[in-house]
Amino acid sequence: MKKDLMEILACPVCKGGLELRADVEDGDEVVAGTLVCGACNESYPIEDTIPNLLPPELRRELG
Amino acid sequence: MPVDNSEIKELVRERYGARAQRVIELAPVVAEGHEHGDGCGCSVDAACCGPADLEHAMRLYSEGQLAGLPAESVAASAGCGNPTALAGLRPGERVLDLGSGGGIDCFLAAQQVGDSGRVTGLDMTPAMLELARKNQANLGLTNVEFVQGELEAMPLPGDSFDVIISNCVVCLSPDKDAVFSESFRVLAPGGRIHLSDVLALTREGPAVADAESWVACAAGAEYHEVYVGRLRRAGFEDIEVKGEGVEFWDDGEKGTYTNTAGFKVTARKPG
Repeated sequence: MKKDLMEILACPVCKGGLELRADVEDGDEVVAGTLVCGACNESYPIEDTIPNLLPPELRRELG
Repeated sequence: MPVDNSEIKELVRERYGARAQRVIELAPVVAEGHEHGDGCGCSVDAACCGPADLEHAMRLYSEGQLAGLPAESVAASAGCGNPTALAGLRPGERVLDLGSGGGIDCFLAAQQVGDSGRVTGLDMTPAMLELARKNQANLGLTNVEFVQGELEAMPLPGDSFDVIISNCVVCLSPDKDAVFSESFRVLAPGGRIHLSDVLALTREGPAVADAESWVACAAGAEYHEVYVGRLRRAGFEDIEVKGEGVEFWDDGEKGTYTNTAGFKVTARKPG
């Protein structure tokens, strides 16, 4: 995901703002990292440039 | 509800993931078919290019629209209409595609909104997202992003889109009220929603009710009055329903789609 996508992402559970913790970057692209909700503290992975923002319960069910 | 909601979700992910995987594996074959050196003159032509999946898209999209799109995005499409054709997208608009799949509608929308606009594809299936990203890289489009998320719990802030499009996806959801209330929330005031979807032709509903038929977009099809009622309860106004007039099913599938058809549904969030 591009870093400016942060402007339009929100926590799927509480709709709070997310904080980006990038582990692998390629220019303005985040390849791997974590998005953490500042409101409810839930975290979401970024893998292969795609942020996985499925609600945690569904993320676990779908594996 | 004849079938379990989580069973539907799991099956949708499995089947559409398999569809994306098949296209990813077929990609070299499709690409070969698209070397036009033999003067076949086609842009995306099933007879020329092999995979029968392309035929499906050719019933729904104009040749001009498909020209220039990666064959993989066309082959992965499993829509029942052509929502960007009616969305009247303008340069600079912010577009959200619900259930973006291989990305075909996102790419068409991206061409219409231009560099000052932005298109976001939301999908829950990892293999489809992988395919969409590959297609995007091939096209070199920079105004499209793909996000893995659920239509019923969108990872997006409120009032952040001008237009929502979706192609044959809401019928897959076992909780359409949640999809519509989330759509209403993320649309900016005055924003519009343009859905291509499968609806039932009569109050009796679809002829089938099993989980597999949900995944095929048949069993989850609702009578238009029920569907419109859900949109209205979510807050939408100026709701219109029109027949799509396109047979999106293959010959062998007709029985599954008894008493259903493709429709275009449009509505607006009050400004």
